[in-house]
Amino acid sequence: MKTIEEFISENEEQTRDFAASCISIFKPGDIVELSGNLGAGKTFFVKSFCELKNIPNANSPSFAIVNEYAGKEKIYHFDFYRIKKNEELIEIGFYDYINDESAITFIEWGDLFEELLPLSRYVIKFGLLDNTKRKISLLKYE
Amino acid sequence: MNVLGIETSCDETSVAVISNGQLKVNLISSQDFHIKFGGVVPELSSRAHLQTVTPLMKEALHQAMLELKEIEVIAATAGPGLIGALLVGLTFAKGLCYSLDKTFIPVNHIEGHIFSGFLMEDKPQYPYLCLVVSGGHSLLLIVEDDLRIKKLGGTIDDAAGEAFDKAAKMMGLGYPGGPNIQMYAEKGNPDAIKFPIAQLKNKYDYSFSGLKTALLRFIQKEYEGKVPESDLPDLAASFQKTISDTLTTNVIKALNEYKVKSISVVGGVAANRYIQNAFHEIAESRNLKLVIPDQQYCGDNAAMIAYRGMLLHLNKKKYNLGFNAFPSISEGMFSDG
Repeated sequence: MKTIEEFISENEEQTRDFAASCISIFKPGDIVELSGNLGAGKTFFVKSFCELKNIPNANSPSFAIVNEYAGKEKIYHFDFYRIKKNEELIEIGFYDYINDESAITFIEWGDLFEELLPLSRYVIKFGLLDNTKRKISLLKYE
Repeated sequence: MNVLGIETSCDETSVAVISNGQLKVNLISSQDFHIKFGGVVPELSSRAHLQTVTPLMKEALHQAMLELKEIEVIAATAGPGLIGALLVGLTFAKGLCYSLDKTFIPVNHIEGHIFSGFLMEDKPQYPYLCLVVSGGHSLLLIVEDDLRIKKLGGTIDDAAGEAFDKAAKMMGLGYPGGPNIQMYAEKGNPDAIKFPIAQLKNKYDYSFSGLKTALLRFIQKEYEGKVPESDLPDLAASFQKTISDTLTTNVIKALNEYKVKSISVVGGVAANRYIQNAFHEIAESRNLKLVIPDQQYCGDNAAMIAYRGMLLHLNKKKYNLGFNAFPSISEGMFSDG
């Protein structure tokens, strides 16, 4: 595991800047796990990343479990928040999604079912430092 | 005309029958399946839909006192939803239509919700303003007639139902979030705490993510994360009012701009009594008819899919068996107007 970037964000604009710095890093076939509490900025990050890729309609997949966005590159946007057991994910074809080499896959609350995630992946951790500041760490697991 | 409706877009398997415009039966797996057939239905899986859809259809036909050969139209949800789940119901419908030579109608799940008010005795009148609010969707639309639907706005992040569920979690209230917040809110003061309402570029869009963050910060600052029981009613009431005000603000803007005869609020969040009251007030003050479907038609159900399928068929819409399932709504899907 190595740390690629550590970033302090004080507002949405700065989180957007962080998303911009990830554009050159994430490639089709990559899996990106996002961890952090409710309201930590996970969905906002994915939304910002998608907007920079000219995908304007990204929103929370908490209910849908996975949203698919068709841009120049395909993006799968998962959320494990309301999943109760890992069979559910396997049943809905989770491996078909993450083995799609033409798509970048983001997984909110990926840490809830870490055993299903491939070893080789990016992890973004969102931590609330105080009432306004967030610490965002980008890690690479191999 | 007999129409069979099949819904498998997400957690629920549902089968319904409409005969000559009248809903005969509407079976929903979580409520009807395990009672009748025993066994546990997993919360979310394509296999569960696969195991449930055939017995549920047989039971629906039995209750409607019809045989499969008496069905003329088979309508199934084609999207949006989980692709693996959608494919079960859609392929099942296609198979039946192909082998028994029935008319196949793929239905957009959101359109099912939009027209679910017509399942009530007192139906919406065209044109009407429709607010779809559920766990997965928040949309504001103008419905001109059977076929012309124009989207005014939608959520740019979280859906309204999702906001309720996540707020309940932050407050330490269990699932289901919406009903629990409503229960506490009834004993609280809705004006106790002021939460922000997002102002967005498109005046008809919704955003609930900022409200979620504001609530989180409030809970951390005031209570260091754990809300005492005594403060839950005011907090729940204030949160619920903010959601309701957010929804009604855009509705009022739309009513000032568009001339409609009715308002219809549909989807799971439409079951919230505070929100229902807010819409009753708006409708009354403007002399408009308000249609909110009964709770059984607010959640995901096949009755609305059968109804929408019937409507499309009566409007001479034709679809072939090559019609594919789609996971999400594309831009411009509701741009007719």
